[in-house]
Amino acid sequence: MSRLGDAVGLAQTWLFEAAVQPALYWLDLASLSDLAYESLEWLIWGALEIAVLYAILRPLEAHFPAERWRDRRLVGTDVLYTFLHRLGIVPLAFFFLLTPVVDWTEGTLRLAGFRPFNLEEALPWVATSPLAAFLLYLVVLDLSDYWRHRLQHRFEWWWSLHALHHSQRKMSFWTDNRNHLLDDMIGSLWFAGIALAIGVPPGQFLLIVIATRMLESFSHANVRIRFGSIGERLLVSPHYHRRHHAIGFGHEGPSRGCNFAVLLPVWDVIFRTADFTRRFDPTGIRDQLAGARYGERFLEQQWLGLRRLACALRPRQSAGSQSTSAA
Amino acid sequence: MVRLLGALILGGAACTAHAEIAVVLNSQDASVSVINKSSYAELRRIPVGKEPHHLMRTPEGSELIVASSAGNELLFLDASTGDVKRRLPNISDPYQIGFSPNRKWFVVNALRLNRVDIYAADGFRLVKRIPLRSTPSHMAFNRASTHVFVTLQESDELAAIDLARAEIDWRMPVGRQPAGIWMTPDDKHLLIGVMGRGHVEVVDWRARRSVKQLETAQGAHNFQTLGDRRHVLVSNRAANSISVIDQETLTVVDTFPVPGGPDDMEVTADGRELWVTNRWARSVSVVDLATHKVVRKISVGRSPHGIFFVNAARE
Repeated sequence: MSRLGDAVGLAQTWLFEAAVQPALYWLDLASLSDLAYESLEWLIWGALEIAVLYAILRPLEAHFPAERWRDRRLVGTDVLYTFLHRLGIVPLAFFFLLTPVVDWTEGTLRLAGFRPFNLEEALPWVATSPLAAFLLYLVVLDLSDYWRHRLQHRFEWWWSLHALHHSQRKMSFWTDNRNHLLDDMIGSLWFAGIALAIGVPPGQFLLIVIATRMLESFSHANVRIRFGSIGERLLVSPHYHRRHHAIGFGHEGPSRGCNFAVLLPVWDVIFRTADFTRRFDPTGIRDQLAGARYGERFLEQQWLGLRRLACALRPRQSAGSQSTSAA
Repeated sequence: MVRLLGALILGGAACTAHAEIAVVLNSQDASVSVINKSSYAELRRIPVGKEPHHLMRTPEGSELIVASSAGNELLFLDASTGDVKRRLPNISDPYQIGFSPNRKWFVVNALRLNRVDIYAADGFRLVKRIPLRSTPSHMAFNRASTHVFVTLQESDELAAIDLARAEIDWRMPVGRQPAGIWMTPDDKHLLIGVMGRGHVEVVDWRARRSVKQLETAQGAHNFQTLGDRRHVLVSNRAANSISVIDQETLTVVDTFPVPGGPDDMEVTADGRELWVTNRWARSVSVVDLATHKVVRKISVGRSPHGIFFVNAARE
């Protein structure tokens, strides 16, 4: 890992000095140098992630598929989502939109005498043990992600956006980033807000995000992989997460779905939303069987998402897909 | 043979025990690298608060203060060993810090929060919070300690704060994205690294006007004395070079290359070596000041920024 980190560092330096820094000075944006340099590391790691995921998961999907498809036509749009996210374009846009708000809020609160909670102050050993800190932050952020996911299915307006993610009938490792941009922005605010609130250090944040993203891509893969009776309860597997996307199971019932965990199924066990049924079901939303459309191309999907949101927010109108799928 | 081996081990242990250290702040790793100054080896990496950018010695000299800007605290390190001795929380967003020469005031530039906080140095009691847009970054004091001068990176200005009144006295434009600031030994001029343009602005602070521009190179950033009371170095972060300025004639007398985004600097007390943090290369360069060649590169953490060692050139 250290050698890989060093190699990423060299690539980061070279790219920054050869292309990014000259562009920033040319555009009179030298003050963004720190941010640009930092972002470049995310971009390089994102590119590596895509390469590794493709090299490992694509052959697995070809040889051990959970579902056999005639073609991969609908997968192409998910590839675009993945590149937009993992290469940092969407996160960077969010960063520029959200940072002024966060900074203003923090500055105002501090002037008024408020201080944010800091996990390192509450538990001093966290600051001195990088591994313990990494695991603790990972667990806390995963718990927060579990509840974000529950709420995405619970609130009609949020589901109207999140439904896009579940509308993929050909779920593959590319599907993880198939999200409505508004849903993504809320999710990023949620994740970054919790990370800021508990004081996740930047180096740890990078590792946590990479680890989470890799496992999330794996859990969406179209592969016939279970982790066994015990393993399925320790880490989210492709089998476990496929149940969450399964037509007729993943978005229905009293909790409006099951298997919400992102990394650790223990949250589903504790909050009684786990379903360990041994099946590899088709994915999608029930109303798609009756002809509901979620779009095939990026812009169409984004537009239809906004329309569903408008419907969900209109008081006297039926709320669209959730009412059907959650029946 | 055994005796020789024993002597070597004991000698080595003694060397380690008395090794002088250099301390480097890895701003994006939330850590401090402690480096053996003689062997140029990184001895250990100490986790500190988030975004440590700048550090300085306490007035009495036994401790280093590391400002953890996103961690909102000051860490006090043993200046000889690098061990963390204590933490002072509740210092919000300390990006750059400084004691006034009369040791009465401790000033904190809160870059992210657009504010300068004035503390009574004795006990770090907050005296006043001064909102100051935008992005107050570096600071310098006049010899009489009546004023602290702060560069405002995003509003392209220099601000002068009256310390006794804890109020902004005046502000003036100084060029695109001013960063480092340095008071000349005669207490007459402020040198300001104009990062966005690549020159050093010379300001007569009493007259409140710019008197000269010294062309250095792109990304003129921070200053460090050579220790001869005449020359000061300025790092050109984008051009990957360091310029030497004669403070008497106010001219650039030399420029030499240092790769990797040179940022903060320290010069050994004997004037032989210059240590530079390479902001974009996760390393520290050691420059032979006789030849102006980089003779060593020491790997450290992400985005190394502040650097300090005890026996350094100061005035």
